[in-house]
Amino acid sequence: MLLHLLNRSPASSRLIQDVLRAMGPEDRLLLIESGVYGAVPPQSAGFETLKGRCYALQEDLTSRGLAERQADWIIPVDMAGFVALTAETQRTVSWY
Amino acid sequence: MATTSIARHLTVEGRDVALDPEGYLVHLEDWTPAVAEALAAEEARTLTAEHWEILDILRDFYRRYEMAPAMRPLVKAVGQRLGPEKGRSLHLMRLFPDSPAKVAARLAGLPKPTNCL
Amino acid sequence: MSDDTADMPLLVILRHAPHDGSWLREGLDVALVAAAFGRAVTLLFMGDGVEALRPGQTAGPLGQKGTHPTLDMLAMYDIEDLRVDATSLAERGLSTAELPWPARSVAAEELPAVIAAASPVFNF
Repeated sequence: MLLHLLNRSPASSRLIQDVLRAMGPEDRLLLIESGVYGAVPPQSAGFETLKGRCYALQEDLTSRGLAERQADWIIPVDMAGFVALTAETQRTVSWY
Repeated sequence: MATTSIARHLTVEGRDVALDPEGYLVHLEDWTPAVAEALAAEEARTLTAEHWEILDILRDFYRRYEMAPAMRPLVKAVGQRLGPEKGRSLHLMRLFPDSPAKVAARLAGLPKPTNCL
Repeated sequence: MSDDTADMPLLVILRHAPHDGSWLREGLDVALVAAAFGRAVTLLFMGDGVEALRPGQTAGPLGQKGTHPTLDMLAMYDIEDLRVDATSLAERGLSTAELPWPARSVAAEELPAVIAAASPVFNF
């Protein structure tokens, strides 16, 4: 099981489709940096197939004025949560 | 990585040939066989027919691929052209002691190979 | 981080088009360095990265080097395992038959396995 990191806004490229295609059925996705724009409706709809395994970095949500604005099924994690995710997964793949 | 900084000049057949701090040609088009001989003579190397086989292969490699090869692909290119006896790192180490891919690229008028240490 | 990855190939995912900054070239450089040290390398062309495989490319208008000579050189570095994401290829009206290199098409459902079978994975 892999942890995928995405740091681009879904509005700016078709990267999201590539990431979704590349993810295995158990893999997790963590939205970081501009990737957290994808955590907010309506853009979050693009990740709905990942319910239960889609995360967003709290620090990046907060700094962009998106704290509490993320879709309710997206799981916010802080830095410690990020570290815990990397420990639970075999490897990390970054997308940008 | 190609560099444009000129550290010194080497005079070959009355022409000044610009060299970078590591002794590679600044202008690759300056290269002639006489330049190779002059670069080799500076380090007390003598270029035999066996050396020239390798320099020719390197120049062909660069013409085709626009890059100077690291050691492994150089060995492979030599093997393809000259057969398995010469397509061995030992052969290249004997002809160009220390660091064959770098030394031979420099003498052949190529940029420094980027993907080898 | 605990699985045994020593036997796995290193995977470089190329997602950027030629003549679009240095992403593609840097990704290929990583592959070449790894291969120069004897590492097994897989290249996966995805997204705009599949454009690297389109035939008929040249150097840039200002003389910037193209990537086709480098792709031709991969075999000299024993980089033979080229994969291309079938979806990205189809989205751009390309098919493996017209590619100048023998890249294996990877269907969407096979993609996660290709990535999971490699370590480390570098994305460019």
